Amino acid sequence: MAPSCAPQPKRRVLVRFLLAALLFCGLEGAVFRSGFYLRFLEPNSTAGLLQAILNDERLHYRAGPAYVQVLGDSRMALLLRVSDRLAGETGYTFGRIATAGTHPRCWYYMLREVDPDARKYAAVVIPVYTYDDEDWENLADAEVDIHYLAPLLRLSDLFEFSLSFDSWYLRGRAFRTVLFKGLTYKRDLYAFWADPAARRMHIRWEREDGAKARYDFVGDVKTNMTGLAVDWPAHKITHYPDDATPDIRAMLDTELLRSTGNYTGQRTAYLRKWFGKIVERYRGTRTRILFIRLPRGPVLRPYKPYTPTSAVREIAARGDAILMDEHCFDELERPELFHDAVHLNPTGCERFTVILAREVRGILGPPPTR
Amino acid sequence: MLFNTAQFFVFLAVVLALFYGAPLAWRKPILLAASYFFYMSWNAKFVLLLLTLTAIDFTAGLLIARTKPGPRRKLFLIVSLSANLGFLGFFKYYNFLADNLARLWGLAPHVWALDIILPLGISFHTFQSMSYVVDVYRGEQVAIRSPLDYALFIAFFPQLVAGPIVRAREFFGDLYHWRRPTGDEVLRGALMVLFGLVKKMVLADQFAAVADSYFKNIGAHPGVLAAWSGVIAFAMQIYFDFSGYTDMAIGMALLLGFHFPVNFRRPYLSQSITEFWRRWHISLSRWLRDYLYIPLGGNRHGRLATYRNLMLTMLLGGLWHGASWNFAIWGGYHGTLLAVERALGVKGESSGWTWTYPFRAILTFALVSIGWVFFRAANLSDSLWVIGNLFHGPRGHTLLGPWYLRLIALALLLAVLEEKAEWFERVVRAPAWVYASAMAILLFAVELLGVTEVAVPFIYFQF
Repeated sequence: MAPSCAPQPKRRVLVRFLLAALLFCGLEGAVFRSGFYLRFLEPNSTAGLLQAILNDERLHYRAGPAYVQVLGDSRMALLLRVSDRLAGETGYTFGRIATAGTHPRCWYYMLREVDPDARKYAAVVIPVYTYDDEDWENLADAEVDIHYLAPLLRLSDLFEFSLSFDSWYLRGRAFRTVLFKGLTYKRDLYAFWADPAARRMHIRWEREDGAKARYDFVGDVKTNMTGLAVDWPAHKITHYPDDATPDIRAMLDTELLRSTGNYTGQRTAYLRKWFGKIVERYRGTRTRILFIRLPRGPVLRPYKPYTPTSAVREIAARGDAILMDEHCFDELERPELFHDAVHLNPTGCERFTVILAREVRGILGPPPTR
Repeated sequence: MLFNTAQFFVFLAVVLALFYGAPLAWRKPILLAASYFFYMSWNAKFVLLLLTLTAIDFTAGLLIARTKPGPRRKLFLIVSLSANLGFLGFFKYYNFLADNLARLWGLAPHVWALDIILPLGISFHTFQSMSYVVDVYRGEQVAIRSPLDYALFIAFFPQLVAGPIVRAREFFGDLYHWRRPTGDEVLRGALMVLFGLVKKMVLADQFAAVADSYFKNIGAHPGVLAAWSGVIAFAMQIYFDFSGYTDMAIGMALLLGFHFPVNFRRPYLSQSITEFWRRWHISLSRWLRDYLYIPLGGNRHGRLATYRNLMLTMLLGGLWHGASWNFAIWGGYHGTLLAVERALGVKGESSGWTWTYPFRAILTFALVSIGWVFFRAANLSDSLWVIGNLFHGPRGHTLLGPWYLRLIALALLLAVLEEKAEWFERVVRAPAWVYASAMAILLFAVELLGVTEVAVPFIYFQF
């Protein structure tokens, strides 16, 4: 190749490329990072549901020294209407951003969203299924987290969030989601274009009735697991509850008869990371971190997995969090209080809320005055 | 490594950084290494084939240049052409010939078939390589003395897989008189890459969904409207797919200081099939003209010979696309149309936009679209079924909803504006905010409207 003889056009080119990048970021930011598009997000989508729950929380929040935030997934049975009723007795108001299908990684980002300055709460209640770190699913590769968290992720989360997945495929997906929000929202956008009238109707319902409907939600009061019988040595459910639907039966099979995972330390590492981040976020503040063990099920699995580590116990041992009595909710682990294999029914939820509210009051003591 | 993947753009960024960051003497080896890496990322084993063909044609070029005209010189040419056509024939046409021979012998169709994988880009690089050797033989091209330069000519990654088919003098002209791209060239190259990506991911891949749903189960979509919409969807898909790839290839080459010829000039605005072939896959048309049609006699030996030459050229052009009777029929169909137009005295040049223009353009587009049926349908009986549905039967339902019609309208508007006002070049030379806005909008279009869940392969990669 002969040496170059053309003049260097660097500046002219660079200005155009930089301006293009800025305009693209501006356009993308204006539509997807400003909150503008969230007004049109389908409320029945994963990200839409999470947004609705965070909005509920913003409406429900009462500023003051006695507000307790509760995290979790669908198994978090706290009913706000019950805890609000008990507020006079306990002195504490409970908030709830627990969302079905979410995991500790989501909880960290959700908490950051509702409490950006880490100073709103007297305590944050974090539920776990067991205080022992049983490895039966790899939460680090929960793809659904990307869908839930898309609206909450910032450019500064790019590397930490992406690299928190184990598989390179999901790391790539997470990376793209943080960097290009449009990639995540475009399916939602297409659905909006395909039927704008339906979308407007969903949004109107969510705006006018969604929060109240979730607050007043009672659930199926009739369903319970009475009659459930399991032959553990034969590893077989011998009798299903009479009113169990096929879905509930399948869930009972999956949850009760699943094999005990081999210990890999994967869950410990995951929980250390995300619970650790929550702890760090509130270090040096008045907020106490409380771990609770949820009611485990309508019947108890007799299998005892080999779990030499426990992230929550380690954190509590360092004095960074409080472990609520492991057996606090044992009395709720009865077939008549469960709706299916893992979820309490309305009666169970009411009783759970009462126990939780009183236990939290017992641990935190009387609420401080302003 | 497809052009429409993040992986490829990382590769391209690394190549550009290494290329411009390295001293001049290192740049050719860097491009060659990158090109071989690109080729081997698909299937490393076939690099031996690429090396073998490169070595044969490089040596043949040198030997032809050193030998005086005569039978020995011709022998070197024949050896080189035989090697190229032999490899191409084996990999691409063996099973087709074996199946047809087996049928002739009354045997089961696949009795002699082999499990052959078609090497990436073999149709393109063999044609490019053969054109070099023929040019050297004709005395139109000096023999290249550096095997590294020649290997780069054959393997240059922007056009290795699906063209454009570059003539040796064009490529080596750039290589031996390389100069850093001007500001306009860099801006043009980047815009072409992005515009090509939009054509592929936003337009081609969306129309692919319609075309695939129609052609994969034609029985499920009876009726005239369904047939036309399925065929038009494929016409859109193949154009945006192939021209999108070509835009990206030309743009990338430009960013590296190489100037590739235009391969598409808005072919669906053509007023005749003759004009269509002057606007569609121009580098292949040019190759077929220079190395097949003219050597066959072109139009120099009377009308009938001209028609025969047109037909033969298009038949072979059809078979170049793939080894099946459908491609042969597609080629023959176009050959027939070209011969008829020649008989009617239709010129290939655009005759201006008179009031008859829309009728001519629509008729040409319809004829081209009918040809695409043979190109896309799984076999001959499917092709005939679809063509039957284009012209008779129940009305059926269109598969192209309002969204697709809007995309077609937008594409048509851009094509007409380019034809009449050259908007692309105006954007390149426009003030910074105009250029930057165009780039930002195209990026946003890829992000929002592009098919990003899966990387859909380019259609011409299979050829």
